[in-house]
Amino acid sequence: MKQFEFNRRMLLQSATAMAAFGAVGGLGFGRAQAAGALKLWTIGIAKVGAKDWSAMANQAGIEIAYNAKSARADEAILKMVVGDGAKLYDAMSDNGGGMEDALASQGAVVPLDTSKIPNWRNILPVYNPGGAAADSIRHEGKVVAVPYISNADSMAYNRDKIGADLHSWEAMFDAQFKGRAAMQNDFGPTLTNTAIYLKESGKQDIVDPSNMTPSEVKGVCQFLIEQKKKGQFRTFWDGFQNGVSLLASEEVLVSSCWEPVQIVAAKKSKMDIRYGTMKEGHQTWNNVFMLTKGGMARGQSDAFYKLMNVYLSTWFGARTLATFGFGPQMQGVNEYVAANPKDFDDTAKATIAARLAGKADRYKVKGNSWQNVFPKHIRDYQDWWARVQAA
Amino acid sequence: MTRVGNRVDLSKRGGDTLRSPVPLPRLRLQRLLSRLLFLIPIVFMVLFFALPLALTVVWSVFERTMFWMEPGFTLFAYENFFFSARLNNFLSSMLHSSISVLVSFVFGFPIAVFVRRRVPQVARHRVILLFILPFMVSEIIRIFALRPVLQRTGLINNVLLEMGVITEPITAILYTPLGVIIGEVLSFLPFIVFAGFLAMEAVPKFVFEICDDLGAPRHRVFIDIILPLAAPGIFAGGVFIFVNGLGVALLPNILGGPGAVNAGLIATQAITALDFPLAMAISAIMMGTLLGLLYLGHRLFDLTRILTPIN
Repeated sequence: MKQFEFNRRMLLQSATAMAAFGAVGGLGFGRAQAAGALKLWTIGIAKVGAKDWSAMANQAGIEIAYNAKSARADEAILKMVVGDGAKLYDAMSDNGGGMEDALASQGAVVPLDTSKIPNWRNILPVYNPGGAAADSIRHEGKVVAVPYISNADSMAYNRDKIGADLHSWEAMFDAQFKGRAAMQNDFGPTLTNTAIYLKESGKQDIVDPSNMTPSEVKGVCQFLIEQKKKGQFRTFWDGFQNGVSLLASEEVLVSSCWEPVQIVAAKKSKMDIRYGTMKEGHQTWNNVFMLTKGGMARGQSDAFYKLMNVYLSTWFGARTLATFGFGPQMQGVNEYVAANPKDFDDTAKATIAARLAGKADRYKVKGNSWQNVFPKHIRDYQDWWARVQAA
Repeated sequence: MTRVGNRVDLSKRGGDTLRSPVPLPRLRLQRLLSRLLFLIPIVFMVLFFALPLALTVVWSVFERTMFWMEPGFTLFAYENFFFSARLNNFLSSMLHSSISVLVSFVFGFPIAVFVRRRVPQVARHRVILLFILPFMVSEIIRIFALRPVLQRTGLINNVLLEMGVITEPITAILYTPLGVIIGEVLSFLPFIVFAGFLAMEAVPKFVFEICDDLGAPRHRVFIDIILPLAAPGIFAGGVFIFVNGLGVALLPNILGGPGAVNAGLIATQAITALDFPLAMAISAIMMGTLLGLLYLGHRLFDLTRILTPIN
């Protein structure tokens, strides 16, 4: 969903070469060049190593025809379930823990044979059957998705201005940051993070912050309405650049946001903007690749598995972590970085180690809750979010 | 020539019958084509307006399914709109858009009057073009560019702080309803300038000369002469601004406060949550509002008068 909207924006901003690549691909040149190229529908930052997809294609030993995708769940569903997505794309990415179930239940994506992905043995143990994230790649017990990035979203804060480290969501609702706090303009992450805080701090009884009952949704939203009326929030941000701008311009001192927002805001402002570990917990999520029904029918499964092998390689994991701050989905990244000093200088090594340590700390927190794209009572979420907006 | 009633019968040939300068089959073809010409706007309106609008209304009463919708009849989407906080959000955005229309009129219409009355005819359209130029820049860039000006550490606050006018940054001009109104006015001001200018073009210049000769005070000329004559243009420009204020989701998204929305953003959020009947209902309500306004405007001001200069 909006988790990845910034990717599209980054894609637009990044480089003319990249846009040209997309345009050329869109015009059919890329496909004419390689009739058997894997038609990939994904977000711009699902690649590393080069501005275009050449490094990914070289690593996998296949040809890739990239098609830009937004992060909107409605777009993916419409294209794949109602529209002609199966004809257009061999493989696609989206949020795990929701979209893979939705798409697999409609027959839009197919079960996978993980034995054809040698690096599957390196996958994080949380994805093994019974693991915390096992369901995020499975539908009815069968693996239908390959994870390639993940994170535990937290709160960024301006340490230069605050003068201390923050370890609790309490700060988001603390009067000392009145008018200098921001949350995301999306009921999914904002209600989940608030629910985690309210649950873990004992302020409200909530069973599952990712899948709340109507009365729990009401309680969380009433809390947010109260905070909003007090003037606690400067705004609710929407989109990557908005999130960065708020932090970098000192409009807000605390913001619940994606890690890349904090990374870019810190770089842009040259201030000490940090990404904390919240003692109550975080919303955790991943993004996954899936093989479409059409891709399978066109005999693209081998190319798909080759590419998935790259996504589960430390080559990809180390680079996505260093570039975007996303969590790698395999073990052995530190070892890979240590063994490749030419590719990773001391600064990069330190950054990677710090980010990995930060993620490990966040993942350890007991109150973490998995992102849920389609909570059972989504209508209540929508309706109560409208009330928060109207308050 | 034979007359049949008031009609001239050109079908008779020879004798003293007047021969048509154009051969009959060609004349018939011309008549047919001229009739078809009138049909083109009708076909256009049906294809690109009436049909989509009808489909929007039909889909708005469909049943929502998990990922799409299925044929049926339910007013749940409308109930979901009118008996929820969405109505308050919609009314708020109508209020903000109305204020934007008013502010745009106050700043924009005098420009149109000035250009019509004071700028030499040879330069008039070039001057108007200057006000339309901002339209050639992407809307998102225009709106986003306001943030470095309005924000806490932005241009306005920095200048005022440097000058000692203020001691604390002004925070009311961004991430507030005022921020959205500023954005709407700056984005849509050219609408009222252009529509106002078009309306003023329809006013013969001698009208102003007569007023001057008779020594009419400026405010009387404005209230009694200019406003009534330019009313259709002002109304049309106002409707443009109002509808855009309701529909352009970027404005509250980028410049508004926590949870600021307009009708466009409410519909977008409904689509994101895969609630397509609700999104359709919101669109239908927006279109209904627009049509109601246009009907009212036409009854009050006869909007066809806007096209007088073209005629």
